[in-house]
Amino acid sequence: MSIVTSRRFWLVVAAIVIGLLPAIFTDSYWRTNLIVCAINVLLAIGLDFVLGYAGQLNLGQSAFYGIGAYASTLLITQVGVPFWVAFVAGVLLAGVAGVFLSVFAVRLRGHYLAIASLGFAVITYQVLLNWISLTQGPLGIYGIAPPPPFAIPGLPPIEFSNLASLFYLTAGFAFLVYLLLDQLVRSPVGETLTAIREDEVSAASLGVNGQKWKVFAFAVSSAVAGAGGCFYASFVGTLVPDAFFITESFSILAMVIVGGMGTLIGPVLGAILLTVLPELLRGIGDLRLIVYGVSVTLVVLFMPGGLVQAARLVAARVRRPAKVGRDP
Amino acid sequence: MLTVVLQQGINGIVVGSLYVLVALGLTLIYGVLVQINFAHADIVTVGAFVAYFVTHWLSGNYFAGIAAALAVGAVFGWLMNAAIFAPLRDRGNELLPLIATIGVSIMLQNAMLVLLGPIPYAFNTPYSNEVIRLGGTFLTVQNALIIIVSTITIVLLYAFMKFTFLGKALRAVSQDRETAGLMGINPNYVIMLTFVIASALAGMGGAMLGPVLVLTPFAGTSVIVKAFAIVIIGGFGNVEGTIIAGLIVGLIESYTTQFLDPGWIDIVVFALLLLTLAVRPTGLVAERREENV
Repeated sequence: MSIVTSRRFWLVVAAIVIGLLPAIFTDSYWRTNLIVCAINVLLAIGLDFVLGYAGQLNLGQSAFYGIGAYASTLLITQVGVPFWVAFVAGVLLAGVAGVFLSVFAVRLRGHYLAIASLGFAVITYQVLLNWISLTQGPLGIYGIAPPPPFAIPGLPPIEFSNLASLFYLTAGFAFLVYLLLDQLVRSPVGETLTAIREDEVSAASLGVNGQKWKVFAFAVSSAVAGAGGCFYASFVGTLVPDAFFITESFSILAMVIVGGMGTLIGPVLGAILLTVLPELLRGIGDLRLIVYGVSVTLVVLFMPGGLVQAARLVAARVRRPAKVGRDP
Repeated sequence: MLTVVLQQGINGIVVGSLYVLVALGLTLIYGVLVQINFAHADIVTVGAFVAYFVTHWLSGNYFAGIAAALAVGAVFGWLMNAAIFAPLRDRGNELLPLIATIGVSIMLQNAMLVLLGPIPYAFNTPYSNEVIRLGGTFLTVQNALIIIVSTITIVLLYAFMKFTFLGKALRAVSQDRETAGLMGINPNYVIMLTFVIASALAGMGGAMLGPVLVLTPFAGTSVIVKAFAIVIIGGFGNVEGTIIAGLIVGLIESYTTQFLDPGWIDIVVFALLLLTLAVRPTGLVAERREENV
């Protein structure tokens, strides 16, 4: 295996790119976009784990995202819990909500699951909107503090009140989650989930407990979305229920589909593209979501493997002449 | 107290019969194709706006507006089938068409947002302000019209499915596409026809919902989530179940608004949905496969 095709090489490249990005983009506008990108990457790989690998169309990601955001924020502002404790609690609570939804999911397939999860997202949104004594409803929660400084003995503390370090925090976390999910999908766990996606009955005949693994996939996926929510709250500083409306689920879905579901690198690319592209096309009103809609439809119709499939086609086209020997 | 209960009952039936019109289209498509059209709701919104503009241009001819919405809905249905469902039919992945229609839905909503803006349109028909009094309760002529037109449409649809050759062909295809094909029925034609009928119903539903709803480019979203709930509570592909569930959801909506809070409507409806899925995944009305359209 040459060095260019080795996975470790690309992971090192990715880490270096993450390290260099805030140095390249020094204005706060693009640094803000970088953080949004990192959060979207997190949400997209989380959804891809349950959709692309376990084959469960979960339209409830906006709910888990919101549960993570509100749970961690309320624990900090109402109970006075330290940020990282609230973070872990938010992630766990989103995971538990995912397990709750999967109780229905294990009995349902395909369309029924899509609608039940959509229903879950609608209920969660309405609860956030109407439980005014807890969430302040449509008025929202304001002035949420960024994560507290991170003190390593012997070094100056890392402040998260500036955008560059907040980017390192979210992108670093997204990178860690990527590594973790990458290990998972390459382990027998990934093969088991793929087997359930392809043919649950055959998988069951080989002794795979499909229900147990679906619950697991839901829990992982929703916990990752919950982590995204915790970062979102501390980054934006404001929480309103509208940030977690069902359209957010569709946006995350668009990232996974455009990038290429069933691969982990695809959703990462899709999340970056669909976050950056509308920013580049700014000034044409509400173009952002039209771009999402058109790209999802076209990708499903003409390139169902998304950007990853397109890249493979291009790579195959480039490599072919080399084999014939035209390349020196 | 009794008048309030009666009044909200009437309001619930008005809204419920509109939900039935929208949900019937979803159920018809699911019946023949086992697919969900997520953009169905946006055809409802398109129908509402078409009816709004036609009614205004023709200085208040609401029936012309309904007819135009019906026709535009039918065209959208044909387009959806030709552009999305027909090309994806043989891919063998049940989730791809669903995801593609989510894309279409996002596209349509935001295109309408750019064209028409986010400010709600006040869609008043000549019948919105005429009131019929029945005892202590009252009913606008518009709402009476909604109940009458929906009932006639549902009866006509039912008769079409039961007694005409095409209706029987449609049911045959929904039971077993391959065998129906062997009997000389062209399934592609029947599927196309189903999309046209379902979307025409959605467009017409929109024309009648327009004056009742807050008419914005996102009006369809609030309707579609309830229509999905209705279709599942009634049992996917089950026409009788859809009608009953649609009326139940309409009544839940009006009584929740009266006795709890409008914010609770979606919570109650979807709690019922999740409960149905947990207890009776085939829907409230028992699944009788030969009756499923």
